[in-house]
Amino acid sequence: MAGLLDKRLWIVSGKGGVGKSTVAAALALASARAGRRTLVCEVNAQERVSRFLERPAAGPEVTLLEENLWAVDVRPQEAMREYGLMVLRFETLYKTVFENRLVRYFLRFIPSLQELVLLGKIMFHLQEKLPDGRWRFDTIVMDAPATGHAISFLSVPQVLVQTVPPGPMSREAQKMRDLLVDPAVTAAVLVALPEEMPVNEALELHAALRDKVNIRTHAAVLNQSFPERFTEADLEALLGHPELHHAAKAHHDRAAQAVLAGTKLERNLHAPVFTVPRLFTPEFGRDAIEQVMGHLEPLVTGEL
Amino acid sequence: MSKTALAPALAGKRVLICVGSGGVGKTTAAASLALRAAADGRKSLVCTIDPAKRLANSLGLSGGLGNTETRVPATALEPLGIQSRAPLYAMMLDMKQTWDDLITRVAPPDQRERILSNRFYQSLSTALAGSQEYISMEKLWELRRRGEYELIVLDTPPTAHALDFLDAPNRVLDFLDNEAAKWLLSPALKAGKFGMSLFNRSGYVMRALAKFTGTEMLQELSNFMLAISSMNEGFRERARGVRQLLEDPSTGFVLVTSPHPERMDEAIHFHTLLKQHRMEVVSLVVNRVHPMPPEALWEDAATLTPTRRAKVEETLRELQVLAEQDRTGVEQLQAACPGVPIVQVPRFELDVHDITALWRTGRYLLGDEALE
Repeated sequence: MAGLLDKRLWIVSGKGGVGKSTVAAALALASARAGRRTLVCEVNAQERVSRFLERPAAGPEVTLLEENLWAVDVRPQEAMREYGLMVLRFETLYKTVFENRLVRYFLRFIPSLQELVLLGKIMFHLQEKLPDGRWRFDTIVMDAPATGHAISFLSVPQVLVQTVPPGPMSREAQKMRDLLVDPAVTAAVLVALPEEMPVNEALELHAALRDKVNIRTHAAVLNQSFPERFTEADLEALLGHPELHHAAKAHHDRAAQAVLAGTKLERNLHAPVFTVPRLFTPEFGRDAIEQVMGHLEPLVTGEL
Repeated sequence: MSKTALAPALAGKRVLICVGSGGVGKTTAAASLALRAAADGRKSLVCTIDPAKRLANSLGLSGGLGNTETRVPATALEPLGIQSRAPLYAMMLDMKQTWDDLITRVAPPDQRERILSNRFYQSLSTALAGSQEYISMEKLWELRRRGEYELIVLDTPPTAHALDFLDAPNRVLDFLDNEAAKWLLSPALKAGKFGMSLFNRSGYVMRALAKFTGTEMLQELSNFMLAISSMNEGFRERARGVRQLLEDPSTGFVLVTSPHPERMDEAIHFHTLLKQHRMEVVSLVVNRVHPMPPEALWEDAATLTPTRRAKVEETLRELQVLAEQDRTGVEQLQAACPGVPIVQVPRFELDVHDITALWRTGRYLLGDEALE
């Protein structure tokens, strides 16, 4: 299997609450440790990645967290400004246009313009070069929105190519789409929990990404899995202790469910599934992220 | 067992809106509340956004849920061994259909086709952000105005941002009521040539904007705005209605969360916004809380053979960590939202989605049962 290190844009998504930011942080850390200049992008979020890594919040400016690792929270207002400046080139012109009351109301009403500039900023960093011609960032990890929002977010270039008349906006959209659909550049990592709904959402997301956006699923991460612990004989022996049996049975059922979920994902996604066990640490910080990273190493390097 | 704050709300409110981030169990909470209200004798409707077939199945609706209200068959409640004292209805909001219905109702007949076939309208009404939040409240307003149900429980789309939800009607209102929009529209309405006036009057600014979006894009958009300007009054009236409904004393918000730190941050943020908007948070529901394993279990475990004892003790330790995490989470939540009643629903063994699970959730929501 080719590892994620062969790609430059890693898109992490899945149902809300499955640990997308955890996985994004762990993958970004792994990329940085592999010596790649890595930027992790959160989309108008609460900056969990920097918090998980126990660093000060990055904010809307690209901020160095540690060696080879930068973070940014891509926010609409700042992204719009940067995008506007990029197109209009002059600060004064930008001010005249974008700080015009009328124009602001107008812009607010253009559907998906906000998503376009958010995604546009991320795609801009993907193509940014250093003076010596190398990429400014070797890897961009996108902590994408949850399922439904992820699909509409990532479909924006495609939707715009289809809906807006030819012009600068549609040209931008076209460029973004070309990068998103290029399997040599972009890889999607879908995160799920070993429960029915998150698994189903991962499958739906996979189908929508494939059909609507033309992005291939590179791998899935089955987060918070319970490893098998109790044998049938254990459970039988515990029958005389109803409450202990109950706790053991619950654990046993969870572990069985994780196996089922893994199989279901593997069969339907035709992509490898990486299991991350449920961690039992009182605080969920850097230590936890490093542990998760350990489990995701083969996904990053491609060495099983 | 003492009743929770949801008990009087379920008996007295006309609308309950379940809000919260994705994956916290909003749909289950909404369905449980409506089920319970119906069982207690109030004709209820649960309006869900989640295309979860399992909710439909668990309610005995084998054909799935659609954009019209469907009565939940009495046989669905059979496994509960209870007889519902009032009918329960369920529906799943179809965003696209609801938008189309709205346009059909609000637009003058000669503009309908023009709007429905406009490219901006099509993208506005399907996948694009913000419109889901608006249309779900629009539907709620319409259902509420019809007055057929004693209680409507709305399950809301998982918002990327809490503000998207609360801001949606304001955004529409702002847009229509704004001086800039009027200025933009009025000469056009007089002249009947909106696109022309836009480019002539704004000159330099508009030319620069066109550089940004493309000229045709602006023209297309101005055509769309001209078409919808005929619906201004209708939209304005409805948007105002939606806003009033959200602030009405007979409407209550149920803020659903899980004890996970990420989810809780969002819940706290949401709570602050609801307060700012003068909307009533009836209760905070913390879903999937791990109860603390009782001390007696450790003594019991000590009697096992060493290998089994080790396995069992490890499991108990893990449960303890989870319970402690959740307890700290709930305490932090309470400190951040003073005065708001908190209801805890335990994590059930497996995520079951049947009528029994809905009923069980309802028992915790209303305080028939409580976590230790």
